[in-house]
Amino acid sequence: MHSDSNELGAVTAECLSSDTGGLFGKVLDLSEHGLFLVDSARKIVLWNEWMVQASSMARRNVIGRTFNEVFPELAGTRVASVIETALDKRAASLLSRSLNKSLFPLFSANGGGARKRIEQSVIVKPIECDGRDYCLVQITDVTPMVQREEVLRVLAREAEAAQKAAEEISRFKSEFTSTVSHELRTPLTSIRGSLGLVSSGVMGELPLEVNKLVSIACNNTERLLFLINDILDIDKIESGKMDFVIGPVDLMAVLRQALEANQPYGEQYKIRYVLKQVVAGVVVKADTDRLMQVLNNLLSNAAKFSPEGAEVEISVLQNGAMVRVEVKDSGAGIPLQFQSRIFEKFSQADGSDTRKTGGTGLGLSISKAIMEKMGGGIGFETEEGKGTTFYIDICEAAPA
Amino acid sequence: MFEITDIQRDYITEILNISMGSAAAVLSEMVGEEVGLSVPEVVFLPRRVAADKFDLNNSAKMSGVTQSVSGAINGDALLMFPEEKTLTIVRILLGDTVPVESLTEMEQEAMCEIGNIILNAIVSSVANLLQKEIVSSLPHFISGTGREIYAINAGCEDDLVMFLKVGFGLESQSINGHVTLMLNVPSLREFIAHLDEQINAL
Ligand SMILES: Nc1ncnc2c1ncn2[C@@H]1O[C@H](COP(=O)(O)OP(=O)(O)OP(=O)(O)O)[C@@H](O)[C@H]1O
Ligand SMILES: [Mg+2]
Repeated sequence: MHSDSNELGAVTAECLSSDTGGLFGKVLDLSEHGLFLVDSARKIVLWNEWMVQASSMARRNVIGRTFNEVFPELAGTRVASVIETALDKRAASLLSRSLNKSLFPLFSANGGGARKRIEQSVIVKPIECDGRDYCLVQITDVTPMVQREEVLRVLAREAEAAQKAAEEISRFKSEFTSTVSHELRTPLTSIRGSLGLVSSGVMGELPLEVNKLVSIACNNTERLLFLINDILDIDKIESGKMDFVIGPVDLMAVLRQALEANQPYGEQYKIRYVLKQVVAGVVVKADTDRLMQVLNNLLSNAAKFSPEGAEVEISVLQNGAMVRVEVKDSGAGIPLQFQSRIFEKFSQADGSDTRKTGGTGLGLSISKAIMEKMGGGIGFETEEGKGTTFYIDICEAAPA
Repeated sequence: MFEITDIQRDYITEILNISMGSAAAVLSEMVGEEVGLSVPEVVFLPRRVAADKFDLNNSAKMSGVTQSVSGAINGDALLMFPEEKTLTIVRILLGDTVPVESLTEMEQEAMCEIGNIILNAIVSSVANLLQKEIVSSLPHFISGTGREIYAINAGCEDDLVMFLKVGFGLESQSINGHVTLMLNVPSLREFIAHLDEQINAL
């Protein structure tokens, strides 16, 4: 009764409905999907083995009965309505598991254990054959996919929580640093003041030995204060709270002031600052105090890292729309492997406790942040064994 | 270019909005919250012109759902949103946000279903207007740049498309996307003829 060119749709109900069905029925029984076919009278005409297992309904109890009789609990639901749409309007539909939490009452035969509801994804497709309309329903068990995504979801949430915690800790750390630094600064300032008075002799002449000890105490208090101020600066820069008052600044005046202030420091390292080249009367756009801070650091670094008796050369030159200040020393230079980290916080070429020079490795990172805030830049050229030239570029103020 | 009158345009827009209303009702019921769908604009243009007019012929990432149609009209129906909007729609509708940047496999499937509901509603109104049958296939998720998607069938840039803007109203945000439906000229003529019949019958 079939033609030779049998397509799925041409397979008659009789052929598929019996348990001893023909070849096509056997093939469909091997499918990993649930498959059933509804005809235009809404009667089920095909019910594969997967459906038998998952629904616990034998073929003879299903075939020939209507969809509503087989699944009374689905009356009026979206599944029932898309089957109608497929038969009436020839439109195919997809029912995702995410938007349809429980579709068909199907359970996995979980060897002896409790039967679990199968997570489903369903497609409903119209099929026309020999002038007759059918609707194919195909069910895929997506339980493993649901479980995988559940794991993914948990992992993603955990990662998000970890990220939040890390941010919280880092916020706490910086708050802690700035609070502690502030609290330290006040008493330290008063200790330095008192020690200064004592060592200056105004409280009475001190025995030589005592005076030596008091100066050591004085110098170290000074160092501590510098460190704390640097830490507070870094904190301000990182939290964006560093204030800048940018205006026209007479660069040569500021530079001369910086040189004067560093003179004693230079003498300590037995070097000489030499002003090589100037741009007379040049006016730049900057915050005077911050610019001074940068110059101080470059000048003190050059002194610290120069051999005794050397000269440190300072030049001011026009560099396009910028003005460049160079500080050139004849020190040991900066090792190649350190060059990329030099502007990072707390980075020092000589990280050992025994290093000869003072400092904390904050100077350059602060200088860089300051120069960038002022729209300028900082950089260096160095040759190992020969020396280093640090330079800053500052915006020139438009002539009034 | 194919011109239609204002009356014809208003009529199609109204028909489409009615079917969008029922699609929105289905979606609202599925997700248990108010979902709005509207079609504020319909034009008929060559594919290339439409892509240019709506600035889709570029490298912005888009994603959405496509299904092919056959019968009275043949071709693809495409529902597209900017990629991040697709993410927003799915995550709002599923009400379960996963902090990952792209749609998971199951979320893509959910998007397919959403697109399927919308495209079926549009295709069925067009079929009603034509009083002919249009068979539509299962939906597929697609993503790519606007240029890639609109050059899918290279060489058919001159084919006319029915191009609709679609507005998705969700949780007080409104998300805009669009639908393109390929129409060949004879079926478009027929479409307009049926349209006029129905307008005249009013
Ligand atoms: N002119 C230079 N020659 C050679 N090395 C330098 C020079 N300037 C800086 N460095 C290297 O870069 C490091 C960081 O300098 P930076 O100014 O940031 O910190 P510091 O001078 O050690 O401490 P601080 O400036 O915070 O008191 C120095 O410790 C040193 O190793
Ligand atoms: Mg320094």
